[in-house]
Amino acid sequence: MAQAETDGATARRPLSPHLTVYRPMMTMAMSMAHRISGGALYLGAALIALYLLALAFGPAWFSAFSWIGSGLFGHLILPAFVWALFHHLLGGIRHALWDRGLFMDPKGRELLATGTLVGGLALTVATFVLSSLAG
Amino acid sequence: MAPKNTFISGRTGRGAAYVSDASGASHDRFMRLTARALLPLGLATAWLLARLTGDSFEEARAELERPFPAVVLIAFIAIGAAHARLGAESIILDYVHDEALKQKALVVNTWVTRAIALAWAFAILLIAAPR
Repeated sequence: MAQAETDGATARRPLSPHLTVYRPMMTMAMSMAHRISGGALYLGAALIALYLLALAFGPAWFSAFSWIGSGLFGHLILPAFVWALFHHLLGGIRHALWDRGLFMDPKGRELLATGTLVGGLALTVATFVLSSLAG
Repeated sequence: MAPKNTFISGRTGRGAAYVSDASGASHDRFMRLTARALLPLGLATAWLLARLTGDSFEEARAELERPFPAVVLIAFIAIGAAHARLGAESIILDYVHDEALKQKALVVNTWVTRAIALAWAFAILLIAAPR
C-alpha cells in the first residue's frame, strides 16, 4: 500500500481536488468532529485513568494529580471529556439512523448533523446543571 | 491491515495495489456492537464524571466506593478501550503511510489502550473492593 503512494511515478500524477472544492457542510464538519471527539476521548481516558490511580493510592498521590478532576484545569478537562462523550455518542446514533436509511435526504442529513452538535452541547450543560443541583 | 492476498497490478506490480483483506465487515460489526453497549454505559459515565468534577479526595472516594459507579466505570472502560483501539487503528491506517511506522503505531496503540483499561479498572478495584 505504502509503495503505491510513495512511488515516484504515482506521486507525480495529478490529484483530483479533494476537500478544498466543497462548500463546508454540516455533515462534513460533524464527520470530522466525530473522529476528533473520538481521539479526544482516547487522550481523556488516559488522563482519567491517571486521576483514578492517584485516587486509589491515597491523599498524597491525589494531591499531585487532583488538577485533572478539580481546580481550574479539572473544570475544563472533565466537562470537555463529557462533551466529547455526548458528541461521539450522538454521532453513533446518527450513523445508526443512516444505516437504516433514515434522514438521508439533503434537509434531513443536515438537520441530523446539526442535531449532533446542538444535542451534544445541550446534554453536557444539562448534565452539569443537574449534577450540581443533585449535590 | 496488511493484505493477505497479493494482487498483481499492471501499473505498480505485485502486492503494491490496494487490496481488500476482507476485515471491514468484522470491524464494522464490532464497532456497532460495542457502540450499542457504550450507549447506556457512556450516559452513566458522563453523569458520574460530572459528579466527580471538583470533588475533594474524600468526596471522590465516597462517590466511587459505591458498587454501582464502580461496576459502570469498569464496564465502560473495558468495552470503551476495545472500541477506542479499533477507532484509533482506523485513524492510523488513514494517516500513517510509512509501512514501518504504521506497524509500530498499531502495536503502540494496542498496548496503550490495554494499559489505559487496566490502570482504570485496577484503580476502581482498589477503591471499591470490599475489605
